[in-house]
Amino acid sequence: MKKSFLLLFAFTLTVNAKGFNPQMQQYINQLKSQAQKEKSGFTDFNAKRGQKIFTSVHIGKRGKNISCSSCHSINLQQTGKNIHTGKLIKPLSPFANTKRLSKVKDVKKWLRRNFNDVYKREGSAMEKGDVLYYINSAK
Amino acid sequence: MKKIYLVLIFMSGILLASDVKPINNQLALKECGSCHFAYQPGLLPKRSWKKIMRNLSDHFGVDASLDKNDNTKILNYYVVNSSDNSKQYLSRVITRYTRSDKTPVRITLGTVFLRAHDELRRSVFRRKSIQRAGNCIACHVSANRGIYNEDYVRIPR
Ligand code: HEC
Repeated sequence: MKKSFLLLFAFTLTVNAKGFNPQMQQYINQLKSQAQKEKSGFTDFNAKRGQKIFTSVHIGKRGKNISCSSCHSINLQQTGKNIHTGKLIKPLSPFANTKRLSKVKDVKKWLRRNFNDVYKREGSAMEKGDVLYYINSAK
Repeated sequence: MKKIYLVLIFMSGILLASDVKPINNQLALKECGSCHFAYQPGLLPKRSWKKIMRNLSDHFGVDASLDKNDNTKILNYYVVNSSDNSKQYLSRVITRYTRSDKTPVRITLGTVFLRAHDELRRSVFRRKSIQRAGNCIACHVSANRGIYNEDYVRIPR
């Protein structure tokens, strides 16, 4: 029962994902071929894994508990808030904010910074892809 | 003679109407402004901006790194318009009161900032509507236009 529920959930996540624009799709494809090299048996990114990367709490660069959700909130359709400066952050979900995940340069910049702040290291190709699938599908 | 002086002062007042020069660089506005109020270059001397832009991967404990190209462009803009390269009133005051053997990186710990805000309790800065001392625009309603004088202050509850 639980398993079929999970499968159904994973299925809805995939089906509901928005398509990436051509430049972003190209970046995703690059991440894919890199992930294939780094991990044997890799087939595709997974939004469910991405959700875990996004919501799990870690001791970050500042030595304190932090997750991606700390600034972007749990509901990606909602406005977030930068925990360091208090400045509001427009929703991360492309469903709520069509500008999101549209410029490769900005996406790369923020993934580099934000993984360093939360995980104290850069994300692997697989982690980046998983998290982008999650953000792209989060309703 | 005195009259000419007055006219001159009045005219320079119009030319330099802001206390610091507002930011007129889209890249700087976007990159600095994505996390916090985009502080004008005229609020710190150029040696401070050099230090800040050199250490962006550990920017007050946060990774704010930029690619090399954008970093150089923003640094150049901040150096050209730094307090020690500006004629505006507040920039000149900040330059004068910054010790030449120091390279401050926190505007809110500078002599000028502290003196200008010394009648405020620190708890005011921590109000929900303000959050922290560095959030200039919360009270200085025209801070984005480089106007910091008292006529343009409204402290929110
Ligand atoms: C300290 C606060 C903070 C944390 C923690 C944080 N982010 Fe961000 N993130 C930001 C800010 C600020 C932006 C830029 C916001 C804007 O453009 O309005 C951003 C932007 C992004 C973007 C770019 C979206 C786009 O296309 O415009 C992505 C992707 C992203 N974050 C993912 C993550 C991930 C993944 C994590 C966890 C590893 C994370 N963030 C943690 C503050 C944070």
